[in-house]
Amino acid sequence: MDKERADKFYAEEGTEPSSELKKVPMKDHGVIEFIVIVAGFLLITPILSTHRVTDFMIFCIFAMSFDLLYGYMGRLSFGQMLFFGTGAYGAGLFIKYVSGNPLLAILIGILVAGLLAMFLGLIIVRTTGACFALINLAFNHIGFFLVLSPLRKITNGEDGFGVSAFNLGFLNFSSRPIMFGFVLFCLLLTFFLLKRLTSSPYGVLIRSIKEDETRVRFLGYNTFLYKWLTFVLSGSLAGMAGTLTALNYNYVNPNAMDVHSNVGVIFACLIGGAGHLYGALVGGVVYMVISNFLPIYIHRWEMFLGFSLLIITFRFRKGVWGYFQGVWKYVLKRKENQALMAKEAIRK
Amino acid sequence: MIYTIFYGFTIGAILYFISIGLSLTFGTMRIVNFAHTLTYTIGVYALITLIALFKGYFILVAALSILIVIPISYVIERFVIRRLYGESLDYTFIATFAISLIGVDAIKWIWGVNPYPMSDPIGKYLMFWGLSLPIYRIIIIIIAILLFVALNIFFKKTIVGKIVVAALEDKDGVRCLGINVDKYFSIVFMLGSALAALGGVLYAPISSVHPYMGLSILLLSFAVVIVGGMGNLKGTFVSAFALGMVMAITARYWSQGAETMVFIVMAITLIFRPIDI
Repeated sequence: MDKERADKFYAEEGTEPSSELKKVPMKDHGVIEFIVIVAGFLLITPILSTHRVTDFMIFCIFAMSFDLLYGYMGRLSFGQMLFFGTGAYGAGLFIKYVSGNPLLAILIGILVAGLLAMFLGLIIVRTTGACFALINLAFNHIGFFLVLSPLRKITNGEDGFGVSAFNLGFLNFSSRPIMFGFVLFCLLLTFFLLKRLTSSPYGVLIRSIKEDETRVRFLGYNTFLYKWLTFVLSGSLAGMAGTLTALNYNYVNPNAMDVHSNVGVIFACLIGGAGHLYGALVGGVVYMVISNFLPIYIHRWEMFLGFSLLIITFRFRKGVWGYFQGVWKYVLKRKENQALMAKEAIRK
Repeated sequence: MIYTIFYGFTIGAILYFISIGLSLTFGTMRIVNFAHTLTYTIGVYALITLIALFKGYFILVAALSILIVIPISYVIERFVIRRLYGESLDYTFIATFAISLIGVDAIKWIWGVNPYPMSDPIGKYLMFWGLSLPIYRIIIIIIAILLFVALNIFFKKTIVGKIVVAALEDKDGVRCLGINVDKYFSIVFMLGSALAALGGVLYAPISSVHPYMGLSILLLSFAVVIVGGMGNLKGTFVSAFALGMVMAITARYWSQGAETMVFIVMAITLIFRPIDI
């Protein structure tokens, strides 16, 4: 971390960094990543069903939006469902009352969630730690209550309402493969956008905010602005996941904003490994598999979730992806050592 | 209107019982305990089970169910909370949330998901200037005030209380005096859990009983603790009654909006006085 911060610092100041700091830390494997993600999701499609995998991918988008906030900026939110639900309701209501154009509905959903995040972010982002989590939770609760009760006439309360978008050329959202393709496209878009952002100076900055916000402020950055931007971005992406859910199920109900569903995305982020986009992808899939299939075999799956969360907190902090990385690093180091030893042997 | 104020005081009293433990755990251990109202729920379910055995002895049963909660809270403290000292807040959140998930599921396992109806154990009304106030609610308010006085005496006069108050100010300073702070934290945790159970036991007869009852009241008591100041005992007392009043008055005019209004108050408090944790 310190190295990256120093890198950033030197880059800003225009002073010459030492040769080691000049090294670009991230290698670009864009094409390989693209192939791996697409192939990964296509491979699990025949095992599960297309509709399920579409659902998984939407959840992965949601997990990535949460990962940006929690894994990269270090702000744990217990109210990310608010933006998810806002997106879903925004798109759903747009289709129901204004027009059935699905793309426009998605845009509107993202916009509404983003606007809400912009407005609430002004308040929420000022807090940290426990307050951040709790104030998010409070707003999520207020949102849930709003759709459930005072806006009952528009949102149809607990029962929710059906969403039927019309076809837009070949974009027929009621056909499963096309929905699958579209969601995959959105997932890749989100992934590469976030990858680009998190490896840019902005990404370094928000990771520095996670480490020590005061020091970043000492460096002369307006941390409030960056935190707010991240919050808005994360909210909009969560909104996008919400709109896609609404289109995928052709249905919106208050479950999309349920306060208690927040634990799912936190769990997904942690089990995959917070602070890696891959972690969010892996965690999203793992969580969805657990929550979809485990209740069939284990009746008390909430208890299982609780125990696994405890194990993660005490023993397995880096998550699945962090674990893989650790193993990979170990293998690389061992190879290096072997090569060195071989060299030594030759010299002798 | 007098009824509204009266009901506000009752809710405030219940909120006070529950949030005092939350406030103390936060103030001493720097842990935001999502599992706090688990003990509250367990207390209520213990009450339900026991009251079927001993009909008519409400006070005895209530005392027993509070006693049952204490060893459970010790187990939680010993095996989870104690490992979380000094961890970052995220992990304490997640671990305590995990405990509450496990606990709620265990309750569903043992007692089932269906809500239990309970009735007012006294059922009499106090006639007073043409008003009829349920005696049970009056007793709850009196207990809350007595508890406030008792806790004040406990924290000012007894040595355990003094150590805890000192630890609220400066944990390391107390530790430097050669006092095993963790032991006292454990006591504080059990005390807080027992008080939450007391709140549950008193509140159960005038509300509905279901496995998720803890989660909904947890959010309210978080609001109380945040408005009153984390680890501030008098602030918790005042804010519990103030928010209880807010709930009652909102409920009078707009019954669904009661809980939401509390969160709005909490959000406003956080905007004007953010707590840096």
